[in-house]
Amino acid sequence: MSALLEIEHLDAGYGRLAVLHDVSLTVSAGELVAVLGPNGAGKSTLLRAVSRLEADRTGGSVRFDGRDLAHERPDRISRLGLAHVPEGRQLFTELSVEDNIRLGAFGRPRAEVDAALAQAYERFPQLERRRGSTAFALSGGEQQMLALARALAARPKLLMLDEPSTGLAPQIVRQIFDIIAALRDDGTAVLLVEQNAFLTLQRADRAYVLEHGTIALAGTAAELANDGRVREVYLGGSTET
Amino acid sequence: MADRMRADARILPIFAAIVVIFGIVARGNANLMQAATFAAIDAVAAIGLSVLLGNVAQISLGQAGFFGIGAYTFGYLETAVTWPAGVALWLQFVLSTLAGTALAAVFGVLLGFIALRFRGHYLAMATLAFGLIVVDIAKVTPALGGAAGITNVPFPQFGSLTISGIAAYWYAWAMVAVAATLSFNLLRGRAGRAFEALRNDELAAEAIGVPTRRLKIAAFAYAGALAGFAGTFYGAFLGVVDPTAVNVGFSIDLLLMVVVGGAGGVAGAILGATIVGITNVYGHELENWRPVIYGVLVIVIAIAFPRGLIGLFVRPRRRDELTLAAAASSATAPPEPAQPVAASAREASGGDRSWLRIDAVDKRFGGLVAVDGVSFTLQNGTLTSLIGPNGAGKTTLFNTICGVSRPTHGRIEIAGRDVTGWQPHRIAALGVGRSFQNARLFGDMTVLENVLAGVYRTENATFASDLLALPRSRRSGRAALERASAALEALDLERIARVRARDLAFGDRRRVELARALAASPGLLLVDEPAAGLNASERARLRDDLQRLRAGGTTLLLVEHDMHLVMAISDRVMVLEFGKLIADGPAATVRDDPRVVAAYLGTA
Amino acid sequence: MLQLVVAGLTVGSGYALVALGIHIILRATRVVNFAQGEFVVLGGLFAYSVVAQLHASVWIGLVVATVAGFGLGLAYERFVLRAAARAGELSVTIVTVGTVYVLLYGHALVWGSLPEPLPYFSGVEGDASWHVFGVQIAAQQLWVLGLLALALAVLGFFFERTTYGKAIRAAANNPAGAQLVGIDVDRARSISVAIAIALAAFGGAIIGPITLVGGAAGIGIAIKGFVGGIVGGLDSPVGCTLGGLLVGVVEKLLEGRFGYGVSDPVVYGLLIAMLLVRPQGLLGTLRATRD
Repeated sequence: MSALLEIEHLDAGYGRLAVLHDVSLTVSAGELVAVLGPNGAGKSTLLRAVSRLEADRTGGSVRFDGRDLAHERPDRISRLGLAHVPEGRQLFTELSVEDNIRLGAFGRPRAEVDAALAQAYERFPQLERRRGSTAFALSGGEQQMLALARALAARPKLLMLDEPSTGLAPQIVRQIFDIIAALRDDGTAVLLVEQNAFLTLQRADRAYVLEHGTIALAGTAAELANDGRVREVYLGGSTET
Repeated sequence: MADRMRADARILPIFAAIVVIFGIVARGNANLMQAATFAAIDAVAAIGLSVLLGNVAQISLGQAGFFGIGAYTFGYLETAVTWPAGVALWLQFVLSTLAGTALAAVFGVLLGFIALRFRGHYLAMATLAFGLIVVDIAKVTPALGGAAGITNVPFPQFGSLTISGIAAYWYAWAMVAVAATLSFNLLRGRAGRAFEALRNDELAAEAIGVPTRRLKIAAFAYAGALAGFAGTFYGAFLGVVDPTAVNVGFSIDLLLMVVVGGAGGVAGAILGATIVGITNVYGHELENWRPVIYGVLVIVIAIAFPRGLIGLFVRPRRRDELTLAAAASSATAPPEPAQPVAASAREASGGDRSWLRIDAVDKRFGGLVAVDGVSFTLQNGTLTSLIGPNGAGKTTLFNTICGVSRPTHGRIEIAGRDVTGWQPHRIAALGVGRSFQNARLFGDMTVLENVLAGVYRTENATFASDLLALPRSRRSGRAALERASAALEALDLERIARVRARDLAFGDRRRVELARALAASPGLLLVDEPAAGLNASERARLRDDLQRLRAGGTTLLLVEHDMHLVMAISDRVMVLEFGKLIADGPAATVRDDPRVVAAYLGTA
Repeated sequence: MLQLVVAGLTVGSGYALVALGIHIILRATRVVNFAQGEFVVLGGLFAYSVVAQLHASVWIGLVVATVAGFGLGLAYERFVLRAAARAGELSVTIVTVGTVYVLLYGHALVWGSLPEPLPYFSGVEGDASWHVFGVQIAAQQLWVLGLLALALAVLGFFFERTTYGKAIRAAANNPAGAQLVGIDVDRARSISVAIAIALAAFGGAIIGPITLVGGAAGIGIAIKGFVGGIVGGLDSPVGCTLGGLLVGVVEKLLEGRFGYGVSDPVVYGLLIAMLLVRPQGLLGTLRATRD
């Protein structure tokens, strides 16, 4: 059984800036895969190179559900079942919570949109309470939930999340992580980019650690949780020149 | 920028020759001569707009207003005012011209202040409104002749010589030469480099000490003055000043001339004015089509030839020559060794006062607290790193220190002065250099020009001395070049000195930005994520560069994510999490601090 | 005086439609379309041609003008605005100014420089009118106000209630986010501009019977519509509408009191005053002026 997302020998960056070098990773259905690493390692670039949003791919291949994404336009990729919640969330700040979620299922038949909305409210009761507010007025945690709900509205097969914990209080972070783990349990594959290694490794199935644009470490979450090298990647080793 | 100046330097003598030849050959054809005379008048006004639009990137749809102010002032003084008996006619003429120009310049300053508040299309509207008001005031003021305007404005009289007809042609084009020379001098000097920096990246320009607000106002005043100047001899040669001559249509015509000819510099404006002038004469059959053709021309050229027709004569090359007035001397003056940059940094280190001291600084954005009660004092001559997870507030803190944003509470002291709330260029002027997260270079300028711009705050040329190409400007330019050369050498950038910044490889951009910040010998250098995007060997070189700077006496504050780099070179490390300082001490201690580990790797 | 207010509301409707069109384009492209008023004039002239050449009813002229406006808007966005955007923000401003010239003088080439009449919507020679509360209201004035209300209702419904209308707003609000959910941002932008130009054409056709179409009338509508938008706030649709109506009323009141010729300088003065004192307009936000 081939993986849902197959990235092979990917080189990517922005214009002249080459960020990723020879990155290969896979995500299969029903898995929660984490991508960890310090800032500047290229984690966001990785997700952007997949969803083709503002990043240029200069080498290697990305296949989703067997399909090469090389020539797809960004607005077509979501229809293939790949959802991306980028850093900054990119919500429609002037529109209401409900409209944001509905637009997540843009292009789908009305019945599906209604069903997606109902399911979102089930998963995120806080959002139902705030259904009429504009996205701008929500708190940080609520905005993250809304971004998640919007991405899920199209019932994606793979959900890519870029540092959902940014700027959120620890309690809310735990709540979000529980929701993400639950999604994986329900069958949605998740590719989670995070800085918070500890919390992430507790819930992930497998993980990769990026450093300076390449994969430094890879393995199951259990293996990496016990690997001292992870800490070195983040904080610098004692034997560096 | 260099290529435009080069185009000017090459093309202007050709224009001059054409003007002379035309003046001789066509002198029998009164119509042609008159059209050419008015083309000259337009050219002077167009040069002002060209500088404003092309070099400073400010749009004005109200230049006709300044033209009108100049023309009406001149006309009024020449017809309605009784001069004291002893004043000769030619003196009256000169004084009236100066008065018209000066008044236009004053209004230019006013419009400049207004322009500071707006950008883009709102600026266009504000300038449009200005032009409309001038016309309306002219129409309703009886002293200015109302709808009929001022009539019987006399020709300039120099002794027995009346400047009209053929003489007017030579006079007008001589004035174009004056305007062209002054503008060329200005653009080649310190002010011109500051304009170019401002046009490319306003934020980076502030960081190197360019007072962007003042400069924009100056640009408006200059453009206004030139338009007013043109207006004065319009009145003199036409003999009549009425509202229709100074209406919005003329403002748009000027815009057309500049867009078609090419904005920025001098030659494009002259070319555009001449083209429009000629079609105005010969286009009589096309009378009704002319404005439509103009409109189409503007659209097509703005889309397809953004550099204007002049751009056809200019091929931007990867390598460009110097444009400094002191360019010749660079060959003779031996490059200074790297010492002066470092030595003066040590001198500038402010003695006992710490270079940077911040006290209980908060920065809030609405409900979000980005920086929370941070206090620290830097030790001079050390390298301190500021680290922390994403979103911890590091760049926000940097921004408050440099003046880019104002702290909500707290106090920031640089070299003993309270700089809380100061504008970035004033802080830069104290001796602070900054580099940005994404290497904000001035894309259109070469590496050398970028670094040269960095010297701005140490130069002592003034607007006036630049304009007149006084020795003071030349000296200042030479000194600037020496400093820039030293900085280039210190960072090993001489071989790419003439590459345009836009074309640089990423690894070089960082170093160029550093060189630019260093060129003015800062005592305090703030460096934002210098290692981002660099490969291993580039990072090693960065480490060497930073260590060398510290050895030379500069105080450094770094924001960085690359832990290997941070641990290797920092004397002191401060850790920010959720806006608060959670650790502060030597690198090894901080790395093992459990709170820091938790901040980065997370906790249960 | 009420008479003047009604007249002001009528001509103000034209201004409101200009301002609203500017707002829609501003939202979608972040550009102020200086040529908006000229499209209004063009719309009126289109309607006139349909009526005069094809001997069709003025209603057909209205519909044709609006549809033509939509098509013209698509072309304008694609070949003028989008192309200029590649060359920079200033280039777009310059290009809209160039468009003003092309349309302002261009229409005289095709239709001549004399204003032309459009038949009244009520289809009678001259126009029916009634006396209400001591005010004489012409049927055409009622048509204008009614059709303005209709246009506002349709637009409001489209942007507030339909999925695609919201998608267009989303694309303007956050293009990256819009792409992520599958919205074609380029098409959304095109359609926004097309709607705005269709609205302009519509406006030109409905006020045509009162103000005549073409000739020098166009410049006035263009500038005053603009001022209306500034007064109300270019980034607020309600602001634009109210601003346009307000400018119309002020203009007519001034004319009634002081005769022609005074209203223009006052309106320009209003523009300057707004820009100095409150550039974002009555209902707009400051962010828009610094963008």
